[in-house]
Amino acid sequence: MAAVTPEPTDQPIPTQALDGAVAEYPRDRLYVMTAVFLAIVTAVEIATYVWPELPVWSWGHESNVGIIAALMVLMAIKFFTVAWVFMHLKFDKPLLNRLFAAGLILAISVYLAVMAAFRMFWAGDEMVRRG
Amino acid sequence: MAETVTHHRELLAERDAHAPVAHPDHATNTGISNTKLAMWLFLASECLLFGGLITTYLLYKHPLPGSGPGPHDVFDIPFTSASSFVLLMSSLTMVLAVSAIERGDHHRLRVWLVGTALLGATFIAGQVYEFTVFYNEGLGYTTSRFSSAFYTLTGFHGVHVTVGIIMLVSLVLLSLRGRLPEHRSETVEIVGLYWHFVDVVWILIFAVVYLIP
Repeated sequence: MAAVTPEPTDQPIPTQALDGAVAEYPRDRLYVMTAVFLAIVTAVEIATYVWPELPVWSWGHESNVGIIAALMVLMAIKFFTVAWVFMHLKFDKPLLNRLFAAGLILAISVYLAVMAAFRMFWAGDEMVRRG
Repeated sequence: MAETVTHHRELLAERDAHAPVAHPDHATNTGISNTKLAMWLFLASECLLFGGLITTYLLYKHPLPGSGPGPHDVFDIPFTSASSFVLLMSSLTMVLAVSAIERGDHHRLRVWLVGTALLGATFIAGQVYEFTVFYNEGLGYTTSRFSSAFYTLTGFHGVHVTVGIIMLVSLVLLSLRGRLPEHRSETVEIVGLYWHFVDVVWILIFAVVYLIP
């Protein structure tokens, strides 16, 4: 497939005129398959609630560490799948990846620091006391 | 050795130059339209907003003794799972709408946009129902620190979904008036970005607020 190098113009550019991949890429099928994958991951998430005793995530039973770890991983998979495929980060310029990652990393860092400041990760020693 | 590395780099550059891209270059320094870049910047800032709300919820999720019901007294996980699934599938219909306008299929564009708006409205209706049930069970906005944090977080998300529905309906009206031609497909894509972001935020909220014990 030949590379497309559009002329600079002030007018909006018809996508098909510039991007052969749009016509050829099996997008709708990819989107449907992605949605099926997301539905399956969601079903597994719900399974942690319905069958919490399953050995896959029932380790660390007292502290629910297994379930929390499983849910965090599943959540991250869903999050990045939607961002990667549905939000077109897979197809778009890398700058947008970096932009979104910057916001995300900043948010995660700041709020992990906030939670650490409130001693949320030290059981029984939270500054916001449990009831 | 150096020649091999150089040759490899040239091959990679050649491959990148011919890699399929989904969107055209724009006459800007970044090659990305300013509108789209602004939307991504906005979404990056929204990460901070929702990060703050989720963190506040995590800090306050345990109500003080005698200050009203806690999360596990009121949450209806099967119901919320169903509404989460509805919102997740609205992302599929949204991306199919973007795909339709890129192909110039305006009829399907409108079908998918209306479908997305209806799924969004179903989610909001579920949220209103859920809030009503919680209120009737004694969980008002100021009942406890848990209730304030919960309603603020999920309420902010609900407002975002509602704004998204308004944008979707506006797109349908523009399309019906013939004011959404193919070369303005980026408008639909940008609204789609907002909608998918609302979906990914709910992915976080559903796991962190509802499912984590």
